[in-house]
Amino acid sequence: MDTTRNFCIIAHIDHGKSTLADRLLESTGTITERDLKMNQVLDDMDLEQERGITIKLHAVRMHYKHGDGVEYTLNLIDTPGHVDFSYEVSRSLNACEGALLVVDATQGIEAQTISNLYLAIEAGLEIIPVINKVDLASAEVDRVTQGIVDLIGCDPSDVIPVSAKTGVGVENIFNAIIDRVPPPTGDPEAPLQALIFDSVFDPYRGAIVYMRVMQGTIREGDEIRFFYNDKRFEVEELGIFKLQRNRTGELTAGNVGYLIAGIKTVADTNVGDTITHVKGGAEKPLPGYKEVKPMVFSGLYPTVSDDFEDLREALSKLRLNDSSIIYEPETSAALGFGFRAGFLGLLHMEIAQERLEREFDLSIITTVPNVEYFVVMKESGERLPVDNPSSMPEPGKIEHIEEPFIRAQIIVPSEYMGNIMKLCMDRRGVYLNTQYIDPTRADIHFELPLSEIIFDFYDKLKSVSRGYASFDYEFKDYRESDLVKLDILLNGEPVDALSSIVHRQKAYDWGRRLCRKLKELIPRQMFEVVIQAAIGTKVISRDVVKPLRKNVTAKCYGGDITRKRKLIEKQKEGKKRMKQVGAVEIPQEAFLAVLSMED
Amino acid sequence: MPGLYVHIPFCEKKCIYCDFYSIESFRQYDSFLDALHREIAMRADVLPHDIRFHSIFFGGGTPSLLTDVQLGGVLEALRARFRFDDDAEVTVECNPGTVDAAKLRGYRAAGVNRLSFGVQSFHADDLQFLSRIHTAEEAEQAIGAAREAGIDDVNLDLMFSLPGQTTERWMHNLERARALGTTHLSCYSLTVEQGTPLARMVARGMVTMPPEESDADLYAQTMDTLAEWGFEQYEVSNFARDGHVSRHNLTYWRHEDYLGFGPSAHSTWQGRRWWNLSSLDRWLDAIASGCLPEAGGELLDRDTLRREYIYLRLRSEGIDLGDFSRRFDADLVADNRAFIDRCLSGGTLQLADGCLSLTREGMLLCDAICAGLE
Repeated sequence: MDTTRNFCIIAHIDHGKSTLADRLLESTGTITERDLKMNQVLDDMDLEQERGITIKLHAVRMHYKHGDGVEYTLNLIDTPGHVDFSYEVSRSLNACEGALLVVDATQGIEAQTISNLYLAIEAGLEIIPVINKVDLASAEVDRVTQGIVDLIGCDPSDVIPVSAKTGVGVENIFNAIIDRVPPPTGDPEAPLQALIFDSVFDPYRGAIVYMRVMQGTIREGDEIRFFYNDKRFEVEELGIFKLQRNRTGELTAGNVGYLIAGIKTVADTNVGDTITHVKGGAEKPLPGYKEVKPMVFSGLYPTVSDDFEDLREALSKLRLNDSSIIYEPETSAALGFGFRAGFLGLLHMEIAQERLEREFDLSIITTVPNVEYFVVMKESGERLPVDNPSSMPEPGKIEHIEEPFIRAQIIVPSEYMGNIMKLCMDRRGVYLNTQYIDPTRADIHFELPLSEIIFDFYDKLKSVSRGYASFDYEFKDYRESDLVKLDILLNGEPVDALSSIVHRQKAYDWGRRLCRKLKELIPRQMFEVVIQAAIGTKVISRDVVKPLRKNVTAKCYGGDITRKRKLIEKQKEGKKRMKQVGAVEIPQEAFLAVLSMED
Repeated sequence: MPGLYVHIPFCEKKCIYCDFYSIESFRQYDSFLDALHREIAMRADVLPHDIRFHSIFFGGGTPSLLTDVQLGGVLEALRARFRFDDDAEVTVECNPGTVDAAKLRGYRAAGVNRLSFGVQSFHADDLQFLSRIHTAEEAEQAIGAAREAGIDDVNLDLMFSLPGQTTERWMHNLERARALGTTHLSCYSLTVEQGTPLARMVARGMVTMPPEESDADLYAQTMDTLAEWGFEQYEVSNFARDGHVSRHNLTYWRHEDYLGFGPSAHSTWQGRRWWNLSSLDRWLDAIASGCLPEAGGELLDRDTLRREYIYLRLRSEGIDLGDFSRRFDADLVADNRAFIDRCLSGGTLQLADGCLSLTREGMLLCDAICAGLE
């Protein structure tokens, strides 16, 4: 056990985490250059590679021969790099004793990095600061080093300059991991406690649990149980991660590995839960378990109503892989049968949506995402959760509405502070304080309603700071707000799927912008389409999509018939991709119009 | 009864908006005529002999580049292989810059009884923009020559929605056409077809096409004006006086069979459609090696026929619901109840004597209505 080191990498998106991980794997001969090809090894979902982010956690074991002649086992546990997945990050940090803090020498520390750093410090990890991309001309090694020193109070000489791209300095990282990260502790004879930090679904084997044995020993054939849901299984296979699974038959305290036990769905394997033996098991689970709660909700509907069952099937398959998605059937007057689904955040929602379309070949309509509200009723004093604007009770029956607030941390060069302040105030933010990381970079804290950041906040933040601001948040609490339900009517008929909940003071502006955007998105059709925004019975904005004036092919003779027929068929196809609500054809993207609204 | 089409793929100069197949080189002009005779013979060999046609249409390209002798030769070849009505309609598309009274007299003698002139506009700058080779005066002279030659059935093609075209300028064209006294007018909205020089000019911002609103206004005004002048609109773009409709073009819109000869010509025959090779070289090669010069084809199943029938009929004389149900064993109105009701009350469709047809408003929205019908 003294020759084992468990570590992870904390970095901001684009700061080179994946490239560094590849370099470590390559230096230890875990993979060859050929394996790397053009892709980074740790991100193996298509989507991850396209978006350049790590969505699911992975782990890999490396062997490294140290200068002292001893061969060490290094377990690298990868962490997701997006704020939607911060709980998963905290669990994988708990599976490690050390963390590489990777900072881009041309950028400096970002908010994401800081919040993950705090999580790592909280988890008692040894932090090894690394400055990456020192080979670039625009690298500011001294300034960034000073920022790191100020942040974690280390000695400047502790900061390791590297270039993951060229390989310079990578050896120093291995030495630091071995010398500075403590080996795992934990008695192999003690009752079993293993931390689940991830799980993936394999169609043949069921859920494969990624875990860290904190104490005790687990062997194949053991009867185990999960503390949180009290499910029991018999261990079929245990092993460690090379590039593939590598069966070992047992895992002892300090080891990181996988477990297969005929578990049918990943929903049974809660990240953060503790595995122990049925007989002679530990009395208590490991601390820190939290049930992951979805923060963002939206309706998912098949574009063609006949595809409802296919969508149900696809969602259940998706959930086998990603238990943080929840869903239940709902019915919309406009869209028919569909589902209300909950996601960890907007990115998580977009990923799920894209996977549904891509992996299951479905055409789906996603409605405007919203947060979960609590409505306190006048008569009964009941506190009802509302995760769908259309299920908001009558305004007259509502005592008040509560909405979730988050605590946001924004790190930005001080010259953009004014812009950031203005943006946060516009989003109903409550200013808390500002600290300076270094003389030019401010660390601003705000409390904001979650609903104000789920749409375009991140994009706005980037645009008002020329891309320099970074942002992280955590859920704070529910607070009473003056909220109203804004309805959209098309030709006088309310379209429930277009309703949203907005702050009363913003409702007029919101309604006006939404009408204007819908006018842009709804194509001209044979009949006039009147778009109205209303609060209750009061119309606050109105726009009109004028009917088509002329839509006719001028020339149609012999040779043209086949071609002209195909043009009409194309036009028909276009209509089919739209949702018919009454006599109005609404394109899919109109249901997400608020996401593309301009000021 | 079926119609017959002959494609003459040569032009002195291609017009910027045209996407029909034509070439500006006359190198293979003679071999083309020889091969055309061979194609007629080859096709006739694989078809029954007793088919009777009601029309022949020479299109292009510029068919009026043919001398009267050449044209007469082709007609003779056709008559030798196929049967025609005694009063079959024989039309030649003419570029006004390529004909004179002598040539048209020769055409008349060969059996031509209808001419279609691609006039497009009587404004010199419009003609220049469209890269036409004729002048407004030549157009008027050509029509005079047609009358002199004894051909009374004359169509003029005119184009509206040219960039910058005002209502006045368009009305002037209609007035000039009326003054010439022709029996038939085809009035087209200038359409930007992919791959044409015009499409490139629009893409580069050198030309701005008029907006939908003014295009619609000009079209509506055309329909109203011509109706007032006694022209019957029997198709989206076609207007005839005193019953002088084009029987050949009705072949297409009535979904009847037609045979096509020459490069790129299409044919529809008993549930099958095919199209000839459109490159003159390849068309020549195929015929030289004894093959029918088909480039591709499709079988028209009932569903496809139904969709075509709706589209073609609706843009012309309307859909006879009885005929529809006999052909397709289906009830068009029952299958599209909600949509048809909306169109009827919205004033774009009308239903009279068992015939569902477009109103004047409906003509403007023909494609959208067809796309709404199953």
